[in-house]
Amino acid sequence: MSNNDTVYINQKSFKEKLVWLLDHFKREWQIYVMLAPMIIWFLVFLYKPMYGLQIAFKDYSIFRGIEASPWVGLEHFNDLFSNSQFLRAIKNTFLISFYSLIFGFPVPILLALMFNEIINAVFKRSAQTIVYLPHFISTVIIAGIVITAFSPSAGIVNTVLSWFGLDSVYFLTKAEWFRPIFIGSGIWQEAGFSSIIFLAAIAGVNPSLYESAVVDGASRWQMMWKITLPSILPTIIIMLIIRIGNLMEVGFELIILLYQPATYETADVINTYIYRQGLQSGQYDLAAAAGFFNAVVAFVLVMAANSISKRFSRTSLW
Amino acid sequence: MSGVLLQNIVKAYGAAQVVHGINLTVQEKEFVVLVGPSGCGKSTTLRMIAGLEEITEGQLSIYGKVVNRIAPKDRDVAMVFQNYALYPHLNVADNMAFGLRIRKMPKPEIKQQIKNVAEILELTDYLERRPADLSGGQRQRVAMGRAIVRHPKVFLFDEPLSNLDAKLRTQMRAEIRRLHNRLGVTSIYVTHDQVEAMTLADRIVVMNDGRIEQVGTPMELFMNPANIFVAGFLGSPPMNQMPGTVTEKGVEIDGIIIAVSGNLSAQVGRKVIVGIRPEHVSLQKEKGTTALPINLDLVEPLGSEALLHAQFGAHQLVFKTETQGSIDHLSDVSEVYVHASMVKLFDAETGEALPL
Ligand SMILES: Nc1ncnc2c1ncn2[C@@H]1O[C@H](COP(=O)(O)OP(=O)(O)O)[C@@H](O)[C@H]1O
Ligand SMILES: [Mg+2]
Repeated sequence: MSNNDTVYINQKSFKEKLVWLLDHFKREWQIYVMLAPMIIWFLVFLYKPMYGLQIAFKDYSIFRGIEASPWVGLEHFNDLFSNSQFLRAIKNTFLISFYSLIFGFPVPILLALMFNEIINAVFKRSAQTIVYLPHFISTVIIAGIVITAFSPSAGIVNTVLSWFGLDSVYFLTKAEWFRPIFIGSGIWQEAGFSSIIFLAAIAGVNPSLYESAVVDGASRWQMMWKITLPSILPTIIIMLIIRIGNLMEVGFELIILLYQPATYETADVINTYIYRQGLQSGQYDLAAAAGFFNAVVAFVLVMAANSISKRFSRTSLW
Repeated sequence: MSGVLLQNIVKAYGAAQVVHGINLTVQEKEFVVLVGPSGCGKSTTLRMIAGLEEITEGQLSIYGKVVNRIAPKDRDVAMVFQNYALYPHLNVADNMAFGLRIRKMPKPEIKQQIKNVAEILELTDYLERRPADLSGGQRQRVAMGRAIVRHPKVFLFDEPLSNLDAKLRTQMRAEIRRLHNRLGVTSIYVTHDQVEAMTLADRIVVMNDGRIEQVGTPMELFMNPANIFVAGFLGSPPMNQMPGTVTEKGVEIDGIIIAVSGNLSAQVGRKVIVGIRPEHVSLQKEKGTTALPINLDLVEPLGSEALLHAQFGAHQLVFKTETQGSIDHLSDVSEVYVHASMVKLFDAETGEALPL
């Protein structure tokens, strides 16, 4: 919409705007009907629970209910930030997310670039299917596979180690192994499926760019670097923004399934901490405060990533 | 030595053969235009020359060297694409430098090349811009610039002007021809637009359905089309066509005998298609002309010329005539005169021009 239109609409009286709005709904109601399930989902599952956020600032008990529980201000936040377990969880959340980003983010892009170079259609389709598959396996089964693979007695990893005469290691009880295993299995599960979006972006590149480059003498390698990668850069940036925005959302179901007290040191993240405090120990107010903190940080991250990208690359989510 | 030599070039996609054995010699420094209806195999032929499509059969030579098995980059050709194929993430200068950098030309030399070519194409002020910030005509010039900086032996153009509006197309057409006169690089230009073909070409190659129908200078093709297809394809409006029969004195159409130049005696009785170009009639009776009685039903003024739509017996014909500043004198035209040398005869069955 141009500036002129905006001014024009702003100059209308309230009544005129209302008429315009009703008219608009009358004309476009089908679109709103299609939109409705999503809006309802958001309202019911994301906005209504926000009402309960207030218990982060209250001394909440189930028996008194939300309304009757007395306000306690920032007491829960004070408790959290003087609690070494929570501070450890923040650190672990950031480290796990950060390493996942560093090691995990480029993998789907590389996969997409590699698939794009495969000429044999049958081989390409089989390879793609194979890397997409783990995405469709439920987390519980993924955890089972990981646990089995790294088991000290029969696990494939220790079997391979034994071929080289190395002692078997009980990886899942070792704090220093938790992050590599968790991040590695995350990549194994999702990298293939995430590559679809980059493949779609690559498919959108004008084929005559490549033909022109071929006539100019570019090799496949040069075309990948000088045409494909720059062409999908906007997609990469959008995906990076989304990833950074989700930095606080580590896949905590898998952590819960894989960690044990011996590995809390490196494995316990904010969400698993919330889960233990809230659901296992019944400290709902403290858990709500931790969740609130998590959400605020995530919000700031998304906003920051978006505005940075807008400034430096003319690409942004909104 | 010929610039580009096509010998029996065939292209098949699987079982479907789309180019059926083309023979063509493009001379050094010549500007040859491949023209024909959409889908007739022009682009395929051009892309085989560029090396973007494999040649199924036949032999292709560029400057005396057989290049069937030579990679596109080593053929020393540059191609301008219909959609320009500019790299959206690179500015104009980098777009033009792309091929040179790949060829590892030294930086100062690249810079000099781009400066020169930008001056020729009047792009100097736009070197820093991205393609998205250019007009259609400017993008087209960048695409040309990218080909020119490489100093190739052969330029290949695939409908480079068809994404431009009519006015810009006329302008760029002249610019391309001027550039050719200046640079003198062997060029093969594909278009479906017969006006572009007529105006640009040293020689035109008319293609239809994967075959060459005729090769010749624009005027040769216009004046002496080898068959009905070429006659109908070149010229606007197209040549008028009527069925007739050859007689001793000329060709007979619905009882009217039209004088024809040449020796008809061997053809008497033959069923033919009579072709008369809209431009090749006059409103004045002259020596050697035949009068065609017509019923005028519409005069379309085009400015300096006008189109006369008329009935001639059962046939709907179009004639083109000068207006001399007014079309008033055209409204009562009832006869047009056609000179015997302007009447073309084609065999009714094969469509081939009769040898007269
Ligand atoms: N990759 C392809 N596979 C099969 N048929 C093709 C392919 N490319 C072109 N053709 C066919 O070849 C014929 C000539 O195409 P083309 O050379 O592009 O025509 P044009 O003269 O319009 O440039 C068309 O009938 C087209 O359908
Ligand atoms: Mg084409």
